[in-house]
Amino acid sequence: MNLGKEFSKGILSENPLFRLTLGMCPSLAITTSVFNGLGMGIAFTVVLLASNIVISLLRKIIPDSIRIPCYIVIIATFVTMIEMLMHAFTPELFESLGIFIPLIVVNCIILGRAEAFANKNSLAPSIMDALGMGLGYTLALLVVSTFREILGAGTFLGYAIFGQSALIMILPPGAFITLGCVLAFLNKIQNRTKHSVNS
Amino acid sequence: MRKVLKLSLFLLIVASIAGFSISYVNGITDPLIEQQNAEKKQSSFNDVYPGADDVKDESKKYITNDSDEVVKEVNIAYKSNIPVGVIYTVKPNGYNGKIEMLVGFDINSKKITAIKILSQSETPGLGANSKESFFSDRFKGLNAESSIEIVKKESVQDNEVLAITAATITSKAVASGVNVARQHFISNFAK
Repeated sequence: MNLGKEFSKGILSENPLFRLTLGMCPSLAITTSVFNGLGMGIAFTVVLLASNIVISLLRKIIPDSIRIPCYIVIIATFVTMIEMLMHAFTPELFESLGIFIPLIVVNCIILGRAEAFANKNSLAPSIMDALGMGLGYTLALLVVSTFREILGAGTFLGYAIFGQSALIMILPPGAFITLGCVLAFLNKIQNRTKHSVNS
Repeated sequence: MRKVLKLSLFLLIVASIAGFSISYVNGITDPLIEQQNAEKKQSSFNDVYPGADDVKDESKKYITNDSDEVVKEVNIAYKSNIPVGVIYTVKPNGYNGKIEMLVGFDINSKKITAIKILSQSETPGLGANSKESFFSDRFKGLNAESSIEIVKKESVQDNEVLAITAATITSKAVASGVNVARQHFISNFAK
């Protein structure tokens, strides 16, 4: 088992947002600013790491027929803890992420990684998988939120860049437009590399 | 049958461990969160009515069955034990949901000292700008004795407030919250 490969696959080839297109709903909603994207990415990575570790350790103990409820309980526990810790120690971030912290529970990437990876692999690869997927997801959120914040609000991390801005980019349609463009761009690159390999 | 018992027992154990760990974390974070909320409340009171020695929640005394249900709290600001100001918590309906806000009045001059939006879920970039000071400052110093109107033209007269561009519904919602507080203030404190 190649640990480096388990880590790097989440960043590009199996990027949860751009390649697996999982967890769209919270991703589209919170990427109105880079700060939110970063916060959501970090919170998500912590939850994914914790749940992958526990599920990987318990994979031989959890009975197969009730594995999904067990995963949900484990994930929900970690999310609730993160939510309380964020409320206590980073109130500003807590306020701006609002409803999307509890929604990490139903973020299908976390359950997906538990089902597809952590319950079949031992501890070390599961940790690498969680870190890679978490980093990939965070980077994806950063890409989308950078475009949306710069174009929609004319700022980057709250610092003003342009006076003028296209408001639509921080409204819901802007999320779909940005995501569509990024996906099209990545597909184009992928096609090109495939072609050059073939010829 | 035995299998069902075994599986339920397993889920029970998993859920209990989860419950215990959550209550442990809650025990650590709860006092911190409580403290933060209290501090936040005090500092917002100070923003809305600066210079008070003490602010007391007297909602029980002033919110009766006849009061508008938009009024959530009535806090009295004291200066050397004399009531000098009133700070209302009101929750009018905005464009996307309730807007929670504070409205401060000075008892002596019957003027609005300031307003502050505590929480809102308005459209980012439009109605959400209501929490910025450029909008809330437009309410500062308005006379509490006549109704406050939202207008869309630049030239504002007494007791008119310029709306936020492209967020008239939010602006009107904020003004309606201020007006409800204003009516309560006039009928209870300005005699």
